[in-house]
Amino acid sequence: MRVLLLLMVLCLFGCRESANPEDAKLLEQPWEVIEEQARGSTVQMMMWQGDPYINAYMNEYVKPALRERYGIELSLSSGQGSQIVNLIMAEQEAGRRTGSLDIGWINGETFYQLRQLDALYGPFTETLPNGRYINWESPFIAMDFQQPVNGMEAPWGNVQLAFIYDSLRAPEPPQSFAELPGYIRRHPGTFTIPNEFTGMTLLKSWMIALSNQPALFEGEFDQKVYAQYSGQLWDTLQALKPYLWKEGKSFPETLSGLHQMFANGEVDFTFSNNDSEVDNKVALGFFPETARAYVPKPGTIRNSHFLGIFKKGTNKAGALLVINFLLSPEAQWKKMDPRVWGDGTVLALDELPADWRARFAQLPGRRYAPDREAIRQRALMEPAPEYMIRLYDDFRTQILVAQ
Amino acid sequence: MKPMLRKLEYRLFSLFFLMGLLLPLGLLVMLSLGRRWIFPELFPQEWTLTHWGSLLRGSSGLRSGLLLSLGISLVVAALATGFGFWAARQVARSRRRGLALWAAYAPYVLSPVIYAVLLQVFFLRLGLSGHVAGVVLGQLLLTFPFAVIFFQSFWGRQTLDYEQAARTLGASGGQIARRVLLPLARPLLVLCFFQCFLISWFEFGLTNLIGLGQVKTLPIRVFQYVQEANVHYAALASLLLIGPPLVLLLLNRRFLRGGLLAVHPPEEQI
Amino acid sequence: MTTFAHRSWWRNSAWLGYAALTLLPLLAGLGYALLYSLGLVGALAEGFTPAHWTAVLGSTRFWANLGFSLFIAVASMGMALGLALWWTLRYRRLFRRGVMQIALYVPLIFPAIVAGLVCFQLWSNGGLLARLAFQLGWIQAPQEFPGLVHHTWGLGILLTHALLAAPFFTLLFLGIWPQQRLDELMQTAATLGASRRQQVRRIALPVLLREARPTLLLYGLFVAGSYEIPLLIGAQHPQMVSVYTVTKLNRFDLSDRPEAFVIAFCFTVLVLGLLRLGVTSRKAKST
Repeated sequence: MRVLLLLMVLCLFGCRESANPEDAKLLEQPWEVIEEQARGSTVQMMMWQGDPYINAYMNEYVKPALRERYGIELSLSSGQGSQIVNLIMAEQEAGRRTGSLDIGWINGETFYQLRQLDALYGPFTETLPNGRYINWESPFIAMDFQQPVNGMEAPWGNVQLAFIYDSLRAPEPPQSFAELPGYIRRHPGTFTIPNEFTGMTLLKSWMIALSNQPALFEGEFDQKVYAQYSGQLWDTLQALKPYLWKEGKSFPETLSGLHQMFANGEVDFTFSNNDSEVDNKVALGFFPETARAYVPKPGTIRNSHFLGIFKKGTNKAGALLVINFLLSPEAQWKKMDPRVWGDGTVLALDELPADWRARFAQLPGRRYAPDREAIRQRALMEPAPEYMIRLYDDFRTQILVAQ
Repeated sequence: MKPMLRKLEYRLFSLFFLMGLLLPLGLLVMLSLGRRWIFPELFPQEWTLTHWGSLLRGSSGLRSGLLLSLGISLVVAALATGFGFWAARQVARSRRRGLALWAAYAPYVLSPVIYAVLLQVFFLRLGLSGHVAGVVLGQLLLTFPFAVIFFQSFWGRQTLDYEQAARTLGASGGQIARRVLLPLARPLLVLCFFQCFLISWFEFGLTNLIGLGQVKTLPIRVFQYVQEANVHYAALASLLLIGPPLVLLLLNRRFLRGGLLAVHPPEEQI
Repeated sequence: MTTFAHRSWWRNSAWLGYAALTLLPLLAGLGYALLYSLGLVGALAEGFTPAHWTAVLGSTRFWANLGFSLFIAVASMGMALGLALWWTLRYRRLFRRGVMQIALYVPLIFPAIVAGLVCFQLWSNGGLLARLAFQLGWIQAPQEFPGLVHHTWGLGILLTHALLAAPFFTLLFLGIWPQQRLDELMQTAATLGASRRQQVRRIALPVLLREARPTLLLYGLFVAGSYEIPLLIGAQHPQMVSVYTVTKLNRFDLSDRPEAFVIAFCFTVLVLGLLRLGVTSRKAKST
């Protein structure tokens, strides 16, 4: 008992580490120094782990490659944006000078909140050797939910929300958001909205479609715009509730849960923030071969997802090295392969060395997903993060709980 | 006529009962060996040993999860049983036994995940969150009170009398412990060890919160596979979780007497 | 030859160690939750405010979820109790021999998270039973199957808990039976002219329930606070308290954090209160 007590006392006073004062200067160091410092260290990364193919990409390609090339041990833990924000917040409240995370997979609303908490380290993208390939020209990459990225996070992939449907069970899917309510009424029980990130992106796209003026959602959060069009959205959904899956009394909590229901034929539609996801799911036999993806009119949200480094993380050099690797032409090329993940690259292909440009060009085409260039015509910009945060909340109170 | 009917009823009941038990186990085994289990097929369209093979190759992280879980649970069980045994003695002989026991019951009945919500800030403060040591301490906070309650029956009148007798015969404290108390308590110590092992082995809510998902014990893995709708690996991880308790059951079913049965009702003590 | 001072130091530190592993963390946690929920600590703290308490206590969602947790606990305990009594009274001889003797222990090897997974794979609309119904021609599409997963009344949660608890309670009753000499008691009653029905209702049931009562109470509290099973197969509304608390703690709306602490505090106090009540009321009765 006494030993234990002593241990606890020791812990209370002994476990405080201090943040590395060198961190600030690190970004000015030559890359070789950073690489040297990172060698043999462990990097903690928190990411959404709801997709077996994304996990396989990380576990079977990224981790071994980092281990072999740099002796870096990448340790992944599971957590979505809001969990990351709350963990960072809890660490701040506990008065920790060091945090347990080095890298987080974030975007938009998470980026916004982490900036508010002053939890991000940077700007760092200029320091990364592979940072020069990043396609900053694209507004879908340089802007994250209307916020300039400014090097405080590194883009990792660029994708667009797509509807996935089973062409056998639903041969004539609604071609626009305007047709969607009528379609749902005619096919009760076959459609639902996942109560998570992808579902909220869907609702945002729907809301913009209702307004018919995407320009309204540009710039900072506008309470009046939100109130008007989210009101319309809730009215529409409320009226549709009896025709949704389980009469709208329940909504899937995870995207993987919805995918599973789609695979089982319980619903005819699922969604993906990754426009080419349908290909890898069909290839691996999870979705039927009759599954197809498309983007309804007037369009869906196109966005990028990012990697951020935490200010209180203990391994900045390791984090930089890992992100640099993830932005390398090789890792981006591998990630873009529809058989692996199918995630759109954030690199400007014409900036790449010729051999890499060729390899990107030779990537197998998509078989079931819509053409990448074609859907760009139907790409909407992400509105400011508050829209997402409000939608999350209001979806719960207006639709989930309201009877 | 009547006894025969009765016999038939017994037979049927046994049959249904056993089927009800085998169904979940069979389902897990089937899923762990299958691929492409698409509605409305009753059985997977492909059978494969790949998932199990990943255990040998160590590629899926399940093997490391298994070893980590084993390590944590053994340490937690040993610490809880050891500390709990002697703490229970203190408690049993205390003038404030009621209060002391109450202190053990309180965390024991509380939902571990709610307990973890209350504790999270302290674990973060101590830098224990996300570390194995933190998870061990957290699980100790669940198993130690259990062990204290568990051993209350042992430190009763009778044990006291034995101890007294040994002392009268001139045995020292150490001798009493080695020669009298430990042999007397051995079956209970073993039982308590396995009970604590199982509490720790099954623990998810607190481990997830305190471990920040970075300490990947088997239950955490099961949950992660469920989250990515990776049914086959989830089933495999589940079977690995069921394995050790199954072995314990076959060894001696008393080990499994769900924690509660071994614990004496609170009002007898307070 | 220890001095008195040394002994008392040792004893005090031993008690302190004991408290450090039992009551202290709990009280510290409760204290922090209270301060946090009153706006006195935490990054969002802006000085004392009862706003978070009134927000939680004034929301129907909170009361619905609390009621739901208690409903699941009571209903699943009731169901398990019914099953266990039926099995004990009718088949107790069966459970004393052979395979059946071990069978009752098998559910104990299932951790809650695996039980939740199995329940999902069995009872969801795309699960094994739905497939069976489809193959037998009872349903034409998975939507038609009366799935228990994500069910609004928590039928899946209820059933899973009940089926896990029933064999356990049966074991409990089978242990009480000889210990309380129920066979002899019922025999005696029979010679005094009691019918089979009377023996069960007047002797077996009261004795079994009386002896099992504390264990049932504890088990009920465990179920009310259970996490894994509702996490895997529960609906978003209503939610059981533990799931509700953790989701509140992980929302984008950071102002939900203090509310999560209000809920955790209330639930803890409720559970401890119920424990105390179960103990003291029993004490009062027995004296």
